Amino acid sequence: MAASVDPLVVGRVIGDVLDMYIPTANMSVYFGPKHITNGCEIKPSAAVNPPKVNISGNSDELYTLVMTDPDAPSPSEPNMREWVHWIVVDIPGGTNPSKGKEILPYMEPRPPVGIHRYIFVLFRQNSPMGPMVQLPPSRANFSTRMFAGHLDLGLPVATVYFNAQKEPASRRR
Amino acid sequence: MAIPMATATPTDSASRVWSMSSLRSALPSATTCRMPSSTSRRPVTIRLPVSSPSPLLLPSFSGLSPVNPLISTGLPDWKSFENGFKIIDGGGRVYAMRHGRRVPKLNRPPDQRKALLRGLTTQLLKHGRIKTTRARASAMRKFVDKMITLAKDGSLHKRRQALGYIYEKQIVHALFAEVPDRYGERNGGYTRIIRTLPRRGDNAPMAYIELV
Repeated sequence: MAASVDPLVVGRVIGDVLDMYIPTANMSVYFGPKHITNGCEIKPSAAVNPPKVNISGNSDELYTLVMTDPDAPSPSEPNMREWVHWIVVDIPGGTNPSKGKEILPYMEPRPPVGIHRYIFVLFRQNSPMGPMVQLPPSRANFSTRMFAGHLDLGLPVATVYFNAQKEPASRRR
Repeated sequence: MAIPMATATPTDSASRVWSMSSLRSALPSATTCRMPSSTSRRPVTIRLPVSSPSPLLLPSFSGLSPVNPLISTGLPDWKSFENGFKIIDGGGRVYAMRHGRRVPKLNRPPDQRKALLRGLTTQLLKHGRIKTTRARASAMRKFVDKMITLAKDGSLHKRRQALGYIYEKQIVHALFAEVPDRYGERNGGYTRIIRTLPRRGDNAPMAYIELV
């Protein structure tokens, strides 16, 4: 039973990855022609290339975008929670991540078992990051909360997530 | 006919139909059968007397047989026969409508239904999150919770019971290994259902069901 109707709470994104926050910015994510809404289903073959992300806001603000998967390797046993796919910092407001600094290059979703959630989290930066950000040692066992605390990013300003599962190897007739 | 002549004459009408009051006075009063009144439309339930007093005077043993409307001795003052033809035993109620029936049938005969639910719980325990129709997701909650409760107990007997239900034994062993850590403090409610968009082919309402 959902305590609230917010899709991020229902899908336990707030709880597993994030804390409760108040969205203050808008972010729209597109994989090709498909617009991402919370909980929609995307095929991994459609997510091979990084999505187009449009961030609202004015250009003197800088944003950080993180894409993680909290259900790695399987939702029933998330030993490697979370698996980080993409980190981009210093994105000017009103643009897209290509104008920012890509700390961790984009990795496409490859869920081995089960249906995974892939979460895009947007933070507002207080100051330009520049060389302060170091690469996480490995993609596994990432913690978005600790990453945000380490860089003093505070609570997120926008979040969206989608589901993906492994596509069957052979084409169904 | 062993019915003795009623001492009271038939009361209401001039017809030959026996009325209940006259018959009741004629029959031995050792039983405590609750005769359904003719005007009520309850389903016919006759409670068999648990403790019959067994006095020494019990001439005709008609006490424990329920009133079977098919063996009618011309007595019924009942206005209608619709309620009368249900067969009752042990107090189970049978309604013409679905009132109070809580088992989801899933449009399948019982053997297929059981197999479907076994397969769904196996897959959920294997993958952690699956997408099915809403009816199936809400029907399988009970069985997933049962399996996790068996794993919480952890004894050999419970393990064998789980092996008899889940199709893959690796999943049972993995379940018994990890459930105490994962669900040790949680009391019940080990699944969550998230409704989602309908299926394209037949517009069936779909849902994700996941382990907590």
